[in-house]
Amino acid sequence: MSKDADMKIKIQKFASIIQKNRYVNSISDGLASALPVILGGAIFTLIDTINIPAYQNFLESTNLKALTQIPPAITIELLSLYAVFSIAFNTAKQFKSDGFSSGIVALMSFLIVTPIGVLNDDMTMALSFQWLGATGLFVAIIIGVFIGRLVPIILERGLYIKMPKGVPPTIEKSFAALTPAFTAIFTMLLIRGVFEATPFGNVHEFIYSILQVPLTNLGSSWWAYLIIVAAMSVLWFFGIHGTIVVLSVIMPIWTSLGLENLAAFRAGEPLPHMIPGGSFFMVYTALGGTGATIGLSLVLLFAKSKRYKVLGKLAIIPGVTGINEPVMFGIPIVLNMKLLIPLIFTPLVVSVIAIIATFAGIVPPLRGIGLPLGTPLIVNGFLEGGFRVAILQAILIAVSVVMYYPFLRSLDRDALRVEGESTQSASSNSASVS
Amino acid sequence: MSKRILLACAGGFSTSMLVEKMKEEAIKRGEDVFIEACSESKITENLPADIIMLGPQMGHIEDEVKELVNNEMPVTTIDMADYGMMNGGKVLDVAFELMNNG
Repeated sequence: MSKDADMKIKIQKFASIIQKNRYVNSISDGLASALPVILGGAIFTLIDTINIPAYQNFLESTNLKALTQIPPAITIELLSLYAVFSIAFNTAKQFKSDGFSSGIVALMSFLIVTPIGVLNDDMTMALSFQWLGATGLFVAIIIGVFIGRLVPIILERGLYIKMPKGVPPTIEKSFAALTPAFTAIFTMLLIRGVFEATPFGNVHEFIYSILQVPLTNLGSSWWAYLIIVAAMSVLWFFGIHGTIVVLSVIMPIWTSLGLENLAAFRAGEPLPHMIPGGSFFMVYTALGGTGATIGLSLVLLFAKSKRYKVLGKLAIIPGVTGINEPVMFGIPIVLNMKLLIPLIFTPLVVSVIAIIATFAGIVPPLRGIGLPLGTPLIVNGFLEGGFRVAILQAILIAVSVVMYYPFLRSLDRDALRVEGESTQSASSNSASVS
Repeated sequence: MSKRILLACAGGFSTSMLVEKMKEEAIKRGEDVFIEACSESKITENLPADIIMLGPQMGHIEDEVKELVNNEMPVTTIDMADYGMMNGGKVLDVAFELMNNG
């Protein structure tokens, strides 16, 4: 046990280093702040695409279609604009500086490096959506963090042009306030100029092909997914919120995977990613929370010992919505060698089944909606992929029950014995009940 | 003035369950206390507080949170068993003990 505790402290240190890294935090907080926008677009994508002819005819004939198409277009397809502001805002706040001015300078910087075109009439300037959605996300992240750090540095160090004596101090100050914006403009123009001279043509093309595509390909592979899932369980075993620690690192990749699927779904094209991280995790892996503990919560309902029966009632409703702290700490699962095996293997087994089913075409790839935590199981599966996904979820829940059942039964028996002993010692003549 | 207890976890979900239990218990005891849950990233926005209590799954950032609030109030991690069984009474006891001694 002391060895476990020692190990726990080491792992806690490691987890806090990752999770509390200011840059990692800025990116994940920044993307999280953009979630309402993503979700708004996702829900309207669903509303817009419900595949019932009568419904679609209704939308067309009432001209509502023109309206329902707007939210997805200005949210998902413009996501990088929201993200660059939000990430710069959160980065500056991490460094206790002015979030708003950093955000707005970052948005300007992002637009400077983004190609502007002219329409066929040779007059109308146009900003193509090409780099404003998921494809521009990594540039948005890089610029957001860069500007979010640059602005505080300039403001803190007082890096600005000193005015000659006699110039009113207020004028000097108002010029000083321009320094961050001008520094950003010069830097971004330089980047734009340099990339225009390369075969890439612009920085978006460069970052997308050398960074975003390789990273998202890696992140969408089945083995990377399984490693991530296992890492989360191991951290949870040591009582650390593994999901949030790992998510803080993987969020940029998972976000772009989900968005690319969602954009394809909206356009009626085949979905590019078989394992869109966030959606796949919420629908197939985190059944009842990390560790796929829904089966455990269900088995608890039928526990014989008083202790687990009480816990089962407490845990089942939060469990259905993906909150499993009651079972994690109540049984506990944390630091409990007797539950280590199902904690690690249940999420892996259900994930592998879901991966095989997806690759085999038994279920469609998920749409990447990324429904928020708290969306009940089955409902989230249905929205993410339809009936077949919901049915697969039900099967996976049964798998989780089977995986946890033998382990919990043995714990339940122990608890019952302890409870029996305590009542026995209280009322000296009761019979043993094991 | 009534005391303010702030509970924080990853998303403020499971702590909000515990907050309900603590409120029930506080009403039963007739304590004048304000209890709220938030996600750990929103702690500063939810200040002031007389004590910050972290869900055990967030214990690994206890030191960072102490630094964040400049040790102006006690910061503690809730006991695993009390958290799991949503034992509002016990957690409330700990909160008052720390607030009165700190």
